[in-house]
Amino acid sequence: MAQRAIWLVSHEPGTPHGGTVRFSRRYPTVEKRAKTFNGSSYVPLPEDDPFCKALLFELRLLDDDKDFVESRDGCSRISKASVYGLPIGGKELWPVLALQKNGLIYVSVPLVEQTLSAHPPLISISGISQAFDLLFGLIDFFDSGPRTEADLSTKVSQLPDLLLHICPFGTLLDSNFLLDNFSNLSIYQAPKQPAWKAGTYKGKPQVAVSITEKVKSMQYDKREVADMWQVYGTITCKCDLEGVMPNVTISLNLPTNGSPLQDILVHPCVTSLDSAVLTSSSVDIMDDSAFSGPYKFPFTPPLESFHLCYYTSQVPVPPILGFYQLKEEDSQLKITVHLKLHESVKNCFEYCEAHIPFYNRGPITHLEYKVSFGQVEVLREKSLLIWIIGQKFPKSLEINLSGTVNFNTMGHQKQPVDTICIGGTTYVKLYFRIPDYTLTGCYADQHSVQVFASGKPKITTCRELISSDYYIWNSKAPAPVAYRSLFL
Amino acid sequence: MGPRSADAWARVLAALRASPAAFVARAGAEALAAELLSELRSERLSEPTKVSLLAAILEFPTQLWPDPTAAEAAVSALLDTLALLPPRPAALRRPLLLAATSVLASCGALAPASAATSRLLCVLLRAAAGRAAGPEQRAVRATACECLRELESCHPGLLAGQLGLLRALQDTLGTQAHCLLFVLTLRDALGALARAGPGAPAGLHGLLAARTDSPRGGETQACDRSPDSPGAQWPGPWDWSLAGEDVRDPAAPVGREGGRPEPSAGPLDLTPPEARELRAAVSQLLDASYLLTPPAQAQMLQQLSQVLRTVRGQPPALLKPQLVRLLGTARVSLLHAVLASKDAFGEALFTAQDEALLLRRLVGAAQHPALPSPARLFCLHCLLHFPENWPLGPAGEEGTPVLLTPSLATGLLPSLLQDPPDLLARLHLLCLLCGEELGADGRRDCQGTEDQVLLYLQGLLASLRQGAAQPGAPRSSVTLCFRASYLATRCLASHPGALAQLTKGLAELYQARPCLAPHFVDLLEQAGEVLAEPLGKALQQVAVAGAGGAQALQWHLQILTKVAGGQPLGPTLGFLWAALGQGGDWAWEQALLGACRALLRGTDLSGAGPRNLANLLQELARGLDDPDSRDRGRLYYSLFTHLSGSKLGSALGPTRSTPMLGSSLVEENEGFASALTVQEAQAPLQLRRVPQQAKEPPVILGLTVEASEILYSLELRFRVLGPHYEPLEAVQVPCLRPGASPKLLLLPLEPRRPYPTLLDVSVLYATPGGLTCYAQLPSLPIAFADLFLPLPPPSPEVTHPPTFQELWASCLPGGAESCMWGPWQGQALETLVTKHWEPFVMSATPPTSYRVAIRLPPSSQLLLQLEAAGEDGVRVALRTDDWAILPLAGEYLRGLGATL
Repeated sequence: MAQRAIWLVSHEPGTPHGGTVRFSRRYPTVEKRAKTFNGSSYVPLPEDDPFCKALLFELRLLDDDKDFVESRDGCSRISKASVYGLPIGGKELWPVLALQKNGLIYVSVPLVEQTLSAHPPLISISGISQAFDLLFGLIDFFDSGPRTEADLSTKVSQLPDLLLHICPFGTLLDSNFLLDNFSNLSIYQAPKQPAWKAGTYKGKPQVAVSITEKVKSMQYDKREVADMWQVYGTITCKCDLEGVMPNVTISLNLPTNGSPLQDILVHPCVTSLDSAVLTSSSVDIMDDSAFSGPYKFPFTPPLESFHLCYYTSQVPVPPILGFYQLKEEDSQLKITVHLKLHESVKNCFEYCEAHIPFYNRGPITHLEYKVSFGQVEVLREKSLLIWIIGQKFPKSLEINLSGTVNFNTMGHQKQPVDTICIGGTTYVKLYFRIPDYTLTGCYADQHSVQVFASGKPKITTCRELISSDYYIWNSKAPAPVAYRSLFL
Repeated sequence: MGPRSADAWARVLAALRASPAAFVARAGAEALAAELLSELRSERLSEPTKVSLLAAILEFPTQLWPDPTAAEAAVSALLDTLALLPPRPAALRRPLLLAATSVLASCGALAPASAATSRLLCVLLRAAAGRAAGPEQRAVRATACECLRELESCHPGLLAGQLGLLRALQDTLGTQAHCLLFVLTLRDALGALARAGPGAPAGLHGLLAARTDSPRGGETQACDRSPDSPGAQWPGPWDWSLAGEDVRDPAAPVGREGGRPEPSAGPLDLTPPEARELRAAVSQLLDASYLLTPPAQAQMLQQLSQVLRTVRGQPPALLKPQLVRLLGTARVSLLHAVLASKDAFGEALFTAQDEALLLRRLVGAAQHPALPSPARLFCLHCLLHFPENWPLGPAGEEGTPVLLTPSLATGLLPSLLQDPPDLLARLHLLCLLCGEELGADGRRDCQGTEDQVLLYLQGLLASLRQGAAQPGAPRSSVTLCFRASYLATRCLASHPGALAQLTKGLAELYQARPCLAPHFVDLLEQAGEVLAEPLGKALQQVAVAGAGGAQALQWHLQILTKVAGGQPLGPTLGFLWAALGQGGDWAWEQALLGACRALLRGTDLSGAGPRNLANLLQELARGLDDPDSRDRGRLYYSLFTHLSGSKLGSALGPTRSTPMLGSSLVEENEGFASALTVQEAQAPLQLRRVPQQAKEPPVILGLTVEASEILYSLELRFRVLGPHYEPLEAVQVPCLRPGASPKLLLLPLEPRRPYPTLLDVSVLYATPGGLTCYAQLPSLPIAFADLFLPLPPPSPEVTHPPTFQELWASCLPGGAESCMWGPWQGQALETLVTKHWEPFVMSATPPTSYRVAIRLPPSSQLLLQLEAAGEDGVRVALRTDDWAILPLAGEYLRGLGATL
């Protein structure tokens, strides 16, 4: 259960090499074990340059994907769970776990404690999930704070020291790289104290709980295809409490007509879970007998802010119901968009926008439109209309946009090709945020937080609803459907 | 070399990191290693610099000390440095321990006879058992535990003799590092005991109880007094009796699918008191597991599962309370650990209901939108390898667990908007579900669902094909489409209708974008007969219909090479005849021959086909441009007309490598070196200039090549000396024979400035004897006059082409003018003009007055006015719009005068 090496590669499109190795760390003692375990199928780790080249090629991040290359494009070479095989010196280095995020590629090669002549299933490689933990930890580390080149360089320069503490020999001791200073490291753990909470907090006790719900939707306005929507939430906590192991219990409540929480996944610091919480699953058909809370989460908090739990839910109606019609007439497009806010939803947005993109058509040359509410912004070169609805829907809760759009088809070639939105297949995508509101009704208040520690903590709670992948498809053309929409 | 500064070290380490092997080879491993070790004690360097030196030692020990003896000395040196550190907190202490461990373990120096091994173990154990409470001491303690754990990992059983001590430390200190060290040592010790059988030197009780060996015991006071003293040795000999040779598989298999062999020894039998003691130790560890970080919890859980599996009759129920807690978490590693313990204990740990719950949790995690996509994909992978209590399918293969019904999996099915990896993984699941559902004959009652599932799959594939068919669609979406088709083919085998639709769709895709031919060839090879046969037929039909015009010809030939053998001859032959008419380069000829070869190996050799094929081959042998291609055509013709079908098949089939006899090896080796290297030779060929008159750029240089012996595969390389010309491409000539008519080469010259120059010529060729030779030919001059071109004809829009006078006037003031006298009398001027300037004369009054306009590429012109002045000679006035060519023009005219 160890990693042979870790790499951090930055993808730099347009440069001669397409990317550079920002950081690498090899573990020679693990390598020695790899040699023994893998036997004749052992493939040594490459040096940074050939590795970077092979990785970028495999991930299709070099500009030269003009020709078919069997080792990369072959139809039977399907990588599983971001695990790749890299051709290096006539052999294949496998398994290489590579995750991409914000222009950086995070790579780890776990030790496989058996021969590799045939690829064993990933589930039988004990180091693979540790590699996931390690890379997710690194991603959190690099994603925090400002994403400037200076910040990146600073973090890269901290990595050798961090890894010397967290992963000195390739075996991961902690996946939390986000530490205020090294004294919070698990390695500095005092006896009988959680390793993930090496220090103690001194100061005014306070607990902050925030609920962020996101809503996804696919709306078709078609008889044979059902619309689909899904809500999922994240509870984030920050507990500043004195004592070595303060006990906290947070209970999430639902109003009487609230939608039950399902698929609840909790942070490892949660000490126990009610079986009703554990078994409520989205694969079940919902009925009135479903467990509807309160959802209790007893835990000992770590020092830093953490995600206490994730959940999903099935709400009866989508917050905004829409339809979109697009027709091609005499070389111009006629569009109609209709949106309706459900009366149960809080009509108080931080922002609400409808983006209407046009693909494979070239830049917009001419637009005529009429809106019943809000303003329209035209990004001609990007072939995009943005309908800014603002903070509130009007009293009727219904709004319309109609218009005609013309395009310069000559400029078409310069734009990237979209392989989904072909012909009339296209969508309106909604972006909105409603503060202090959740679609499920889920909330936490002063009484939801019980703290078994000295002093009465100050408790702050907040919640929000954000749109995520909220699509309304053109009802006059085929649209990509999910299996669920067809048969539910 | 003097001592390096911190900056110099930073550069050295960066170079080492970039390419360790090359750097060490350059700098010398021994010198660099010695320098690194001595610099650690230097007072000049700061602590952070020394830490970076230690980091390099930690990471590249095998490059620095390739030899175990040297590595052992290095470990001793590192320990000496550690001993010299002042007692106050020092940033170097931890890296020194880590570096010494890394060198010892990775360079093969860890051995019973090694003094450095005993020394390091003593130092580490003492540090791990330290009780001081400061943060620095805690960190050193944890580091020492990590070092010991790494040594134990590399040499299982090494610490078995210290099990009692480690347990005591875990009891009293209870930190993560101590727990992990104890669990690993316990697992390895039990494994070693199981292997040793009854002959083991001590039982588990003996190992767990042996606490008196503590370095704090009475005998070890010498160690205590000077904690880092260089000469400190472990009291008495280290117990290596349970230490294995090297790493081996941990005592119990982790994943059944991995095909790990069961440990050769059977489970270990413990006495009841020993078993009780073990259970107590395991429970205590499990109770404390909540205090560990998630990755450490996952490790501990896996290793404790292995501990319980090693011992006979140990119920795994001890693990249960922890599993309930871990089942709710979002961590991939914890979920993985739960699955591993399920795999290890099956029904003994997970009842049928537990199994169902675990599966539903896994389904929930695999589709949870709040988890990152790679984590979801891993959960999906785990679903397809779910360790079932009673698996039905063969072990090790992907399959859907019995409990995973289509209704349970609806949230896991693919949709077009997902990222390619997600889409493919989910499509795979859908295909597996389809295959199962559709394959089961007894489930006719759910016919409706089946059809819907199938329709959905077909719709999805059609959308992917539509995306790939877009002109300019990126290769990633093309690859996605073919991978999806490949996966789908597997489950559609029993569905002729669906398969036919897939085939039809793919043929349409090929018709729309013939340039995807390589993907089709790949799919035909990978997908197996069930798709290859109908798809091959469909593709052949599209190809012979000639979709996509002349540009698609090469792709059609590629497809036909793959599929034509199994299809009727007639249409393919018709297509090849038509293609032959279009003509093409060498590669095109080879592609054509490739398709013919596929036909020769094919099966349909009845009716009029064979005669037509023979005709085609004869035509190829006669009509192709390239001699090599003609030869190949002739060979095919001869083989076809002389061999029976089966012999033809094996003659043209893939070559089987035949073992060579020793004698032939010797024989062939005689000419081996000369056959591989390029020989320098005297050029057996001659180049001659042939006058060429181009009307417009580029200027063409005509050359003829004649050989004095037979030469093959010539490559003539031209290099224009100086910077004033664009580089010239090499010219390939397949064959030259003495006595044959000289081969004409036309070289397009593209001057950047119209200056005369020299052309350097070399040639690479093969001799009939099989040698490759290189020869340098005499340089060819390119003269000023070689660049002359007539002025471009006036474009049709211009009503009045400029007169000579206008041109003459336009040269100034930007250009230059000059005047000279030519020694040509009488008829000489007329002869001169006819010979040298005829294409350039704009107006003339023969035989006395001529006006000549010459264009010099890329963008200059030269104008001449020649007036005969009686018997005295000719007055030449010249102007140019480019002052730099005036001296060249003067020189040229004087040259003409001299040749008179």
